[in-house]
Amino acid sequence: MPSLYRASKSLKSHRIPFNLFHINPNFRRLDSTAYLNPIFGWTQCAFFASQFREDPSIDLNQFPSDRIRNFSIIAHVDHGKSTLADRLLELTATIRKGHGQPQYLDKLQVERERGITVKAQTATMFHTHKYLGTDTKFLLNLIDTPGHVDFSYEVSRSLAACQGVLLVVDAAQGVQAQTVANFYLAFEANLTVIPVINKIDQPTADPDRVKEQLKSIFDLDPNEALLTSAKTGLGLEQVLPAVIERIPHPPGNSSSPLRMLLLDSYYDEYKGVICHVAVVDGTLRKGDKISSAATGQSYEVLDVGIMHPELTQTGVLLTGQVGYVVSGMRSTKEARVGDTLYQTKSIVEPLPGFKPVKHMVFSGLYPADGSDFEALSNAIERLTCNDASVSVTKESSSALGLGFRCGFLGLLHMDVFHQRLEQEHGAHVISTVPTVPYIFEYSDDSKVHVQNPAMLPSNPKNRVTACWEPTVIATIIFPSEYVGAIITLCSERRGEQLEYSFIDSQRALMKYRLPLREIVVDFYNELKSLTSGYASFDYEEAEYQASDLVKLDILLNAQPVDAMATIVHRSKAQRVGRELVDKLKKFIDRQMFEITIQAALGSKIIARETVSAMRKNVLAKCYGGDVTRKKKLLEKQKEGKKRMKRVGSVDIPQEAFHELLKGS
Amino acid sequence: MMAFRSAFTPLLTSAFPTRTTSGTLSLSTFANSLTEHCTQTVRQNVSLLDLCKLPPASAYVHLPFCRKRCHYCDFPIIALGSSSDHHHDDPRISSYVETLCREIMATNSTPSSCPPLQTVFLGGGTPSLVPPRLVSSVLDALSSKFGVCGNAEISMEMDPGTFNAAAMKELMGLGVNRVSLGVQSFQDELLKCCGRAHGVDEIFEAVEIVKSCGVENWSLDLISSLPHQTPAMWEESLHLTIQAQPTHVSVYDLQVEQDTKFGFLYTPGEFPLPSENQSAELYKMASRMLSNAGYEHYEISSYGKTGYRCRHNTTYWKNKPFYAFGLGSASYIGGVRFSRPRRLREYTNYVQALENGVADHTQSEGIVEPKDLAMDVVMLSLRTADGLDLKSFREAFGDSILLSIFEAYRPYLESGLVICLDEQRRNVAADEVMSNEKLAYLRLSDPDGFLLSNELISVAFAVICP
Ligand SMILES: Nc1nc2c(ncn2[C@@H]2O[C@H](COP(=O)(O)OP(=O)(O)OP(=O)(O)O)[C@@H](O)[C@H]2O)c(=O)[nH]1
Ligand SMILES: [Mg+2]
Repeated sequence: MPSLYRASKSLKSHRIPFNLFHINPNFRRLDSTAYLNPIFGWTQCAFFASQFREDPSIDLNQFPSDRIRNFSIIAHVDHGKSTLADRLLELTATIRKGHGQPQYLDKLQVERERGITVKAQTATMFHTHKYLGTDTKFLLNLIDTPGHVDFSYEVSRSLAACQGVLLVVDAAQGVQAQTVANFYLAFEANLTVIPVINKIDQPTADPDRVKEQLKSIFDLDPNEALLTSAKTGLGLEQVLPAVIERIPHPPGNSSSPLRMLLLDSYYDEYKGVICHVAVVDGTLRKGDKISSAATGQSYEVLDVGIMHPELTQTGVLLTGQVGYVVSGMRSTKEARVGDTLYQTKSIVEPLPGFKPVKHMVFSGLYPADGSDFEALSNAIERLTCNDASVSVTKESSSALGLGFRCGFLGLLHMDVFHQRLEQEHGAHVISTVPTVPYIFEYSDDSKVHVQNPAMLPSNPKNRVTACWEPTVIATIIFPSEYVGAIITLCSERRGEQLEYSFIDSQRALMKYRLPLREIVVDFYNELKSLTSGYASFDYEEAEYQASDLVKLDILLNAQPVDAMATIVHRSKAQRVGRELVDKLKKFIDRQMFEITIQAALGSKIIARETVSAMRKNVLAKCYGGDVTRKKKLLEKQKEGKKRMKRVGSVDIPQEAFHELLKGS
Repeated sequence: MMAFRSAFTPLLTSAFPTRTTSGTLSLSTFANSLTEHCTQTVRQNVSLLDLCKLPPASAYVHLPFCRKRCHYCDFPIIALGSSSDHHHDDPRISSYVETLCREIMATNSTPSSCPPLQTVFLGGGTPSLVPPRLVSSVLDALSSKFGVCGNAEISMEMDPGTFNAAAMKELMGLGVNRVSLGVQSFQDELLKCCGRAHGVDEIFEAVEIVKSCGVENWSLDLISSLPHQTPAMWEESLHLTIQAQPTHVSVYDLQVEQDTKFGFLYTPGEFPLPSENQSAELYKMASRMLSNAGYEHYEISSYGKTGYRCRHNTTYWKNKPFYAFGLGSASYIGGVRFSRPRRLREYTNYVQALENGVADHTQSEGIVEPKDLAMDVVMLSLRTADGLDLKSFREAFGDSILLSIFEAYRPYLESGLVICLDEQRRNVAADEVMSNEKLAYLRLSDPDGFLLSNELISVAFAVICP
C-alpha cells in the first residue's frame, strides 16, 4: 500500500501527537481519508486510532471453531481480574512483559486514576497447547470485565460472546457480593465456570476456606479450583490449559449464513464507528455487504480484524471469533448494542440480543463556569458515542439554564461519566442531585413518570392517589459479628429482609428488598464504615413498590430552586430538608440582603436558616492612580458573580450544587 | 468659594513673579473665571464620551520620599532612612526633582488649546520631606509649561514631624494653599504598630503649625480598621479630629495589601484586624460623628465643610482628564490611563525617552471603548454623594443600559442601599423610580450603600459588560 503509507507519513508530520511510529515500524495508519477529513479534531479518546496495525503472520483461517475458546474474567471488585488478564497477555506474548502499564486493558484515564475497570475489554491471544496429543495452536478470546455493580451490564454483554468464565476470587477476602452476582450471570447463561482462587501470595490467604465457600454457595467442585497469584505468577501456567480443556468451543455453524452479535461500539475520530462483534455463524470478510436487523440499514465492511489487543487487521472473521468491524456507520446510534448483523439479502433469525439497559439514577447536567450549552452538548454527544449506556434528553432549569437529563446505571457510573466529560472532552458541568425514577398517580387517573423532581408540581391540582418507587434486591455478605449493625442500617433505609444465611462459619449473607433511593447515595459507604470495610454489597433491580413520597422544595428568599428539588419518603423529609438547608447555608455567601433558605413540602416549611446580609466589603480609597487597579478588582468581583447561578436575586455558587450531591 | 479665592490671590503674586512681570496673572485670572464659566457649560454640553478628551486642567505630582515605609504601604516610595534628618541636601531628592521637572517640560501639550491648571496635587510619599526650594522648581515648571490659575487649588501632603512653621510659610509663599495632613491615628501605640515615623505629640505640633501659619484649607487624614484599633480609640481619634477643626477629613479604611508587612502578618477580618461587622461599625461611627460636626460625607472616604471639597480629587471622580508626573504616577489624557514606571531607574529612562520623543503615550490614539468609559463613570461617580448624573449618562451611553442598571439595582433601591434623586436632589421613593420622569441622580446611601460600594458597583459592571 505505498500510497497509503505516504499518506500516513504526511499525517505523521502534520498532526500525529504520538510516537508509535518510532517504536514499531509495523504500525501503519491505513486510513487516508482521515487526513483528508479535517472535520474531526484529535481528542484523547482517539487512542485506538493510533494502534491500527497489520500483522501478516496472523491467518485466522487456521482457527476453525474447535480451535477457539471465548471466555470472560469475572469477579468481585479488585479481586485481580485485570492483573490476571495482564499475565495471560504476557504469557501468550500478546503484550511484552514489563512493557506498558499494569492493568494494560484499563485504558481510560478514569480507569487508571481510580484503579478500576469501567469498560469491558476484549483481547485475542494465540496459545499453543498439547491437545489430544499434538501441539495445537488455539485462538483465545479474553474479555476483562468490570467488577463494580454499576457495570454489571458490561458483564452480561461480555458473557454473550463467551462459552466460559474464569471466576476469580480473592484468596483472603473469599466470596463477595459481586462474586455471587457474577457467578449467577454466568450460571444462567449456561457457561462453564472455572474457579480461580487468586492472590494466594497474600499472608492472609486462606484458599481452603474459599474452596469451601465455592462448594457451599455455588456447588462448585473444590478440586476444580485453580490457585494463582496474578502478582507473582504462581500457578498461572494452569490457567490457559484449563480454559482450553474445560471450556467448550463456540457452537456456531460455519456453513450457515453470517450472523454476528454486536457487542459494543465506540467512535474513533479517524475510522468512524468501530463495532465489536462476535461472529456466531458463517464468515465475515472485508468487502461484504452487511445489514442490521434492528435498523434494516446496510453497510459495506471496510475493515475487519481482531483486538490483539490493539486493532489488528485480518480481513476476515470466522465462526466463533470475536473482533471488530468498520462499516462506515456515521454515528454509534446506528450501532445498537445487542443487534444482529447479517449478510445483506440473506435471511436469518435474529440473535436474542440483550435486555435493554435499565437506568437506575437520573441527574441533570448543566454547563458550569459560564461555559456554554453548545460545548456541553457536543461533549455529551461525543462521549455517549463511547458509552451508550447513558440516556440523554434535553431539559431546562430556571436556576441553571439549558441542560440535559441523563440516566445512569448507578452513582459510580454517573461519577465516571462526569469525569470523562471533563477529562476527555474538556466540559465543565454542574450536576443536580441524582434521583431515581418514580411514578406518581393522580385522582384524574393521570400518571407521571418522574425523572426530574422539578417537573413534579409542588401543589398539584389533582390529588395524588399513589406513588411508586423502584426497589432492588440487595445481597450483602459480611463477617457475622456485624449482623446487628447491618440489620439496623437496612431497616433505617426502609429495607425488608428476604434472606439470612451463612456462607461459612464466619460469614453471613443477607438479602434485602430496599428502595433504590435508599442505596443510591451513601449506602455503600455507610455499610463499609459500619463493618470496617468487610461487607460487600450487590443489587439487582426489582419491582416498584407503593410508597408515601413527597416532593421537597428548596426555597431561597421564597423562590423555589428547581434544580434542588428532590423526592423523599415522608418519614425522611424533615431530616433531609434540615440537612440540605444546613449545607446550603455553608455555601451561600453573604449578600447585600438577608437570605432565607427554606425546605418546604408543598406550602409547609419544614426547615429554615438565614444568611445575614453583608455589612461591608473592601472600601479602598480611589484617586487617579488607583482607578485602573480598582477597576480590575471590581471586574474580578463581577466575574466571580458571573460564575454563580442565580435564583431571584440570590447568587448561588456552583460549589453549593456540587456539595448537595454529597449525600442527601 | 469666592471668599477663598480672593483671600489667596495676593499670595500668588509672590508665588509666580515671572508671570506677574509678563502680565499674565491678570490674564490668567480672567481666563480662569472664563474657565469656571466654561466648566459649567462643559457639564451641560460636553458628552461624557468627550470629556476625557479635553485638555487636562489638573496635575498630580508624585514626591516619593519617606523616612521609612509604613507597614500598610505599597506605594512607589523611596525610603531615605530615618537617621538623616537633614534631607535638605539629599542629592537623591534634588536629582529626582530635576528628572521630574524634565518630565514636566517634555510633556506634549499644545499651549493654545491648553487651559491653565486649576488643581495641583503634590502627593507622595511624604512631599513635606522635599525642601521648599525644590517644591518651588516643580511649581515653576508646571506654571511655565501649562500655566496655573490664580485661584488654583494647590494641595500638598504633609506628615507630622517633617516640617516647621518656616517651611510651611515658605510653601504657602510658593502657592501651596491646601494641606493634607497625614495623621492616621491619635494613639501612639497604633502609630507605632503602623510603622509611622511620628507620634501623637508631633500631630498636635503639626496641627498648630498649619493653623498658626494661616492655612485655611486643610485636611486631616485618618485610617480606620487598623490592627488592635478599638471602637474607643477610633472615637477618640474622631473627637480630636473634630476639635482640630480641619476643613476636610479623609478617612481611609485600611487595605491590607499583599506585599506589605501587614499583608504578611494579617488576614482581613481576623484578629487583630477588626471583623467585617466591627469595621463597618467604625465606618458608620466616622460618618455619624463627622456629619454631626458639620462635615459633608461627599465621597466614600472624604468629608468636607461646605465649599471645601477637594477640587483635585473631584477631577478624578468626575472622570475628567489629568496630568501626572513622577515615579509610578498615573495620568488620564485623551481617554488613556497611563502609569509611569514604579522604579527609579526605569522612570529615569522613561523621562529620557520622553525627551527624545520616543515615549509619547499621551498622544497615542487610544480608542476608548464606550463600555470601558461607562464603567469608569459608574465606578467613580457612585463613590460620591453627588452620584451618577443620569442625564449625561443616558446621553452618552443610551437608555437601555441605564434601564438595565435600574433593573439590576431594583432590590437595592427597595432596601435603600441605592437611592434615586430628582433635580432638586430629593429622594424618590423606590416604588416610584420606574415611573418618575424627573429622576436626575442615582447614588449609594450613606453609610450602608457606601459600605457595599464594591459589591454594588460590580453589579452595575455586570450589566454594562456582561
Ligand atoms: N497480592 C496480590 N495482589 C494482587 C494480585 N492480583 C491483583 N492484585 C492487586 O489487586 C488490586 C486490584 O487488581 P485489579 O487487577 O485492578 O482488580 P480488578 O478485579 O480488575 O478490579 P476491578 O476491575 O475494579 O473490578 C491491584 O492493586 C493489584 O495489584 C495477586 O495475585 N496478589
Ligand atoms: Mg479490572
